Amino acid sequence: MNNMSWSRYILILVVFVLVAGGVGVRMVSIQNIPAAQTILESSKKLVGVTQTIYPERGSIYDAQGHLLAGNETVYEVGLDLRSIAQPETIASVVSNVLGLDYSTTLVYAKTEAIDDEKLYIVLDSFVDKEKIAQLELIEEDYKNRTIGRNETRPSLEGLIWTPYNKRSYPEGDMGANMLGFYSFLDRVDGRGYYGVEESYNDLLAGTPKQVYTPFDPQKITSGDDIPPGASLVLTFDREIQAMVEQQLAEAIEWSGAESGTILVYNPEDGSIIAMATTPRMDPNYYWTQGEVFTGNTPFNRPVSETYEPGSVFKVLTMASALDAGAVKPETVFTDTGSIMVGGTTITNWNYGAWGDQDMTGCMQHSLNVCLSWIAMQLGADRFYTYLKNFGFDRNTGIDLGGESHWPLKLPGDNQWYEVDLATNSFGQGISVTPIQMAMAIGAVANEGRMMAPHIVKAIVIDGHQYEINPVIVGNPIKAETAETLTRMLVTSLEEESSIALVEGYTVAGKTGTAEIPTPFGYTSSVTNTSFVGWGPAEDPKFLVYVWLEKPTISIWGSEVAAPVFSKVVQNLVVLMDIPPDQIRLQASAEDK
Amino acid sequence: MNMKTKNIIQAYRQAPWRMQLQWIGIFLLILMSIAVIAGVYLSLSGKAAITGRRIQSLEYQVSALELQINDLASQLAYASSARVMSERAAALNMVQRDPAQAIYLEVPGYSPESFSLAPAPTVDNIPSPSILPEFTASLWDWLADTLSNLPGTAQGSLEAQP
Repeated sequence: MNNMSWSRYILILVVFVLVAGGVGVRMVSIQNIPAAQTILESSKKLVGVTQTIYPERGSIYDAQGHLLAGNETVYEVGLDLRSIAQPETIASVVSNVLGLDYSTTLVYAKTEAIDDEKLYIVLDSFVDKEKIAQLELIEEDYKNRTIGRNETRPSLEGLIWTPYNKRSYPEGDMGANMLGFYSFLDRVDGRGYYGVEESYNDLLAGTPKQVYTPFDPQKITSGDDIPPGASLVLTFDREIQAMVEQQLAEAIEWSGAESGTILVYNPEDGSIIAMATTPRMDPNYYWTQGEVFTGNTPFNRPVSETYEPGSVFKVLTMASALDAGAVKPETVFTDTGSIMVGGTTITNWNYGAWGDQDMTGCMQHSLNVCLSWIAMQLGADRFYTYLKNFGFDRNTGIDLGGESHWPLKLPGDNQWYEVDLATNSFGQGISVTPIQMAMAIGAVANEGRMMAPHIVKAIVIDGHQYEINPVIVGNPIKAETAETLTRMLVTSLEEESSIALVEGYTVAGKTGTAEIPTPFGYTSSVTNTSFVGWGPAEDPKFLVYVWLEKPTISIWGSEVAAPVFSKVVQNLVVLMDIPPDQIRLQASAEDK
Repeated sequence: MNMKTKNIIQAYRQAPWRMQLQWIGIFLLILMSIAVIAGVYLSLSGKAAITGRRIQSLEYQVSALELQINDLASQLAYASSARVMSERAAALNMVQRDPAQAIYLEVPGYSPESFSLAPAPTVDNIPSPSILPEFTASLWDWLADTLSNLPGTAQGSLEAQP
């Protein structure tokens, strides 16, 4: 090769090196200019899109598998501004079918698309299936329509509808106080409020996931499965809940009560079988909450509202005194009609003197004087220790949102006076929630074992059902004490010929009538009437707590709450398949 | 250099077109190889793209079906809700039975099944690693074991007894 050829080759090489060097320098400089980051971000949008996927919210079932909270399909209707062909047609159809304003829709439909800024406009959300079916019919009709030469085929191109889940509550307001609600109108920050929707919100919601979808089809791989939120199986039974709600509605109408609560609790394992209260709202329309719950009305009275329970509390005073050995069932108290405690005279409900009474008589006639004397025999320290053991100084921990409790006044507190020992003994001057009462008295029904109240029976995660085991919260009294007191309460109901009795079944129970505290002292014209009872007495399967607030038909628990208890139990034993004592004991004897 | 090689070199010197033909052949071979590789690549990437789109389409279908399943479950729950069932029963002239009229019959051995939405979790049976005795036994153990298993030994004879 001659010198001329070599010099040409070298020249070409130099040119190539210079060009390559120039390109390299330019590349480095472009990557370091201030706009480089923006360009990089923009380029990412061209290769794929990252979206946050929210898992479907878990469903809620009752103990028999009836769906209580699920998801139904609704649609978002919007405009893809890049592909709108006939704005007028879209505006006309949308205003007819969805009831949206024609001119506003037309303005939206004529909006020019701006890349990365305005490509899509939402016209309407939560559109139901029927309306979407109408849109689909119209779209189909336009496609198949025969048109003349000079006519233009009408088109809905650019109008799109996208399905998504909306929380739904098929049973309406039934059990709504336990379920709570999910604020589904807020599609990004929606969450559960009250009931299980609140207390299990994180589990029900699942874990949102960032998912990247490349535009390059070769890079698409099978997406990660996004598991739905956990589903819950509750302990409550729909049929029993419906029955209890019906009984409560009838009781309120009959008694003229302002509100009511009926709680059906299984003392053996702490599960809630039914929990009816008023008022209730349909969680499908949760935005009506302000109209339904006016003033300080709580969403779920049984766990959120404290009240002075009255004589139903005597069950716990008697349980404490028997357990501590302060009294025995056969201990006789001579009731003179009054007792002086801390400078205050305590009288009976009828201001009468009942003479010699054993402890069953004291319970049967609901004698305030006797129970005050019993509390004094027990002593303040032991009495309040028992109350704390029964859980009155704290929340029960039930898995429902919005639980509260009233602080227990104790000796030594500024607000505690000596007379409180007496008044507390018969359920005055102490505020409790129905669920606290059910849990505490459940210990008497369940051989001294106090169970944690709970509403969730099982949680279903990733295709597996995890059962929730019952939890013993404590043993506030001995099994013998519980058995003795149950027998005493069975006797007191039977000897009183209470209207709480249920034919064929042995039940134990106690009435309660409580005057209502006001800023000007207690009112005796309006009361809180209560009844607590459980059965079958020797092997309790249910505990029913009834509370009717301010009944007008009578002020006495024995006349208002006791018959409600009886009616509830008459239906309950059928729904729970509990045969009458005679059949049950006979079958039990044959088995042995 | 042997005679045969010399002949070939001579042949190429006498006819340069053979050399050119050889280069053209090599070039065409490379070109064909590239074309084949490109063809295979295009074919595979095309299939990958189609599969990718199919995966995407199937995932959309899965999402749509999940929505439909949820919706149908909700519809069923609405149609069989306590209130609707009660209204339907009333429309069929059914009346609520007086609980006092309930008749109890004992069905021996029957216990109602509790509702279960999914199976309970189970601990997977992980097979424990089995190490052959050859890897753990000492030489003495192995020798003793081998000797005891020899036919005609006392243990072997006893095991052979019916």
